[in-house]
Amino acid sequence: MTFALPRHRHLTRCTMNAVLGLAALPALAQMPEPDTPPAPVAAAMPIPVGTDWPYYGGDGNAQRFSPLSQITPGNVGSLERAFVYHTGDLPPGDTAGKYAPETTPLKIGDSLVLCTAMNMLISIDAATGEENWRFDPEVAPEAVPYGATCRGVAAYTDPESPEEAPCKVRVIEATLDARLIALDLGTGAPCAGFGTGGQVDLWQGIGEKVPGFYAVTAAPTVVGGVIVTGAQVKDGQAEDAPSGVVRAFDAVTGELAWAWDLAAPEDMRNGPPEGQTYTRGTPNMWTTATADEARGIVYLPLGNSAVDYYGSNRSETENTYATSLVALDAGTGEELWHFQTVRHDVWDYDLGSQATLLEYKGQPGILLPSKQGDLYILNRETGTPLTPVGELTELPQGDIEPDFVADSQPVSLWATLRKPPLTEKRMWGFTPIDQLYCRIRFRQAVYDGYLTPPSTKNYIQYPGYTGGSDWGSVAVDPKRGLLIANYNDIPNLNRLVTRAEADAEGMRPLGGPGGHVTSRGQPQVGAPYGVKTNAGWRSGLTDLPCTQPPYGGITAIDLETGETVWDVPLGTARRSGPFGLPSLLPFTIGTPNNGGAVVTASGLIFIGAATDNLFRAIDTETGETLWTDALPAGGQANPISYEVDGRQYVLISAGGHHAMETGTSDAIIAYRLPD
Amino acid sequence: MILGLTLFGGGAWLISLGGSWYYALAGVGLVLTGVLLNHGSMKAFWLYLLVWAGTLAWAWWESGADGWAQVPRMLSPTVILLLMLLCIPSLSRAGQDRN
Repeated sequence: MTFALPRHRHLTRCTMNAVLGLAALPALAQMPEPDTPPAPVAAAMPIPVGTDWPYYGGDGNAQRFSPLSQITPGNVGSLERAFVYHTGDLPPGDTAGKYAPETTPLKIGDSLVLCTAMNMLISIDAATGEENWRFDPEVAPEAVPYGATCRGVAAYTDPESPEEAPCKVRVIEATLDARLIALDLGTGAPCAGFGTGGQVDLWQGIGEKVPGFYAVTAAPTVVGGVIVTGAQVKDGQAEDAPSGVVRAFDAVTGELAWAWDLAAPEDMRNGPPEGQTYTRGTPNMWTTATADEARGIVYLPLGNSAVDYYGSNRSETENTYATSLVALDAGTGEELWHFQTVRHDVWDYDLGSQATLLEYKGQPGILLPSKQGDLYILNRETGTPLTPVGELTELPQGDIEPDFVADSQPVSLWATLRKPPLTEKRMWGFTPIDQLYCRIRFRQAVYDGYLTPPSTKNYIQYPGYTGGSDWGSVAVDPKRGLLIANYNDIPNLNRLVTRAEADAEGMRPLGGPGGHVTSRGQPQVGAPYGVKTNAGWRSGLTDLPCTQPPYGGITAIDLETGETVWDVPLGTARRSGPFGLPSLLPFTIGTPNNGGAVVTASGLIFIGAATDNLFRAIDTETGETLWTDALPAGGQANPISYEVDGRQYVLISAGGHHAMETGTSDAIIAYRLPD
Repeated sequence: MILGLTLFGGGAWLISLGGSWYYALAGVGLVLTGVLLNHGSMKAFWLYLLVWAGTLAWAWWESGADGWAQVPRMLSPTVILLLMLLCIPSLSRAGQDRN
């Protein structure tokens, strides 16, 4: 299929962007030599990644790659803290234990702009950490869904607004209570012309407002003058859940540009008819989209339907799009193609990673990581795979819904992060007694290898629902032709529970009487079963994982061949131990990890992610850790790199993560080489 | 003794599920060691040394040089071996007393 340019009112702006090379980013950011008046065209050029970190994923391609090279494998050992900034956003009583900020700032001009767990927007000086301004949208604690998270924000330069006009460059955030907010990047003042007083209510057309059921935690994406966002819909509550609709809003006015409701794309394009809602319970996009500004395409990694572990009652359109990467015409919201990674997903293998654009063997490619570990590269104009895709056949059907569970599934024959299936001897513990316990549990559990379907007995899902790859996604080093991926290597021990058992245990969905969010149980109302999940399969005896280390790693894959260049465990045992006690062991064990990496041109990978709360620099060529710094809480956030006054900085948000048990902090920490 | 009985019981259960025979066998070894210890016999040490050596061979066969995989397999059996070594003087004295 060939790609046609979008025919839409935004075409004018798209074309302008293409002609001027304006794209979505700030012309206001200072050029290195402010005394020299920049040429008009140069002034309108998009700010590239390097001195600045203008997009959530670094550049518009979301490669998480910085061309900076002042910090090298040779001098990284002397890296020191430049500043520690405290956002002040720490959990009050009623949200304690639910914080996971996961924040990645943008760096534009002299300042960093970031959001906090509860969606405060803050601008700080990029060299000193001094606060420029802050804006508190006053999100209510009830709005916190699974966790209080704000992974990032987007920036947009309005090409039609005069220089120095307020909100010429604006920062855009989507909130936990489902609002889009636009502020002036320089002052933090709300953009008056955007929605109502600088805000747009994303609950419009969604239905009854149930705080925490529909929340945005990901950075929005700006393309062709529109802001594209999905939302996180709380997993596994009920079939009747908020819609997974993905919407685009005019970046200047906040007006709805288009809506993509996969179950009714034509009827809902301009919003639902009066008194109706977007189609409920459909697969959503809880992560960040990627935009190809020049082609006017936006790529949506979709999750699963609202009920994850039972599928017989899903609609045909849900089955068509769930767990797929969908390419839409960014001007019209019309579908161009989609690529499905799991058929009839009953494993919660949502696509959580932002996809990455890259040139691949002379073709425009898009790199798609997945929770099951498979990595795909597709032609981003047509969706045709550029790397070999195979077919797993004669897969187990299970006895719950054998007619629904697919007997064949796609698999990447190019590269995967998935390890061989579990065996009894990989069961673990601290002593022979608890190891024996886990071996008995292994033998008792239903396990037919990868893609074992759900069961009312304990069953093993491996990889578990944290991946493979999760929202931290992967990084690309275009200079060395390497893909850098950190990953989890842990199973889930799950069990379907009958409706009677779910009711008896008080598993009730949000939005109904007595509904509340529980961590290990999902009622799945509308399906005959609820589900209990044990992520990481923690032993009931010691709280240690039942499987042996490593629980996570980081690997470099040759983009040309798909071959692994190196693959090492990520994270030490210093904070791990039985009964939740830290062992203080400095040995590498490979911990679960969440959050991605930034790769620099000088051959360094910077990553936190692991549960040992270390921030580290790894040699891109060898996988060797060259430098670490202990953070006040977990670095479950994608770090960035930028430059101020000729000095390179690396920065990470050390906010911690409730589910990863890595503490809570409000520290944003920047590093640079000593004077 | 209790350790041995737990291992034997659980190990037998594991065998019935089609799993490894190691735990039940080690459990038998530990129970017998316990019996001999109660008699103050030096044979307790030699038997335990045999159990420990068997454990080492089995652990190597299952997981080789993977240090973390060896934690549950070798750590506590080796701690017990060290304790048994500490018991040697009193065991040999008990043996001499009987003689």
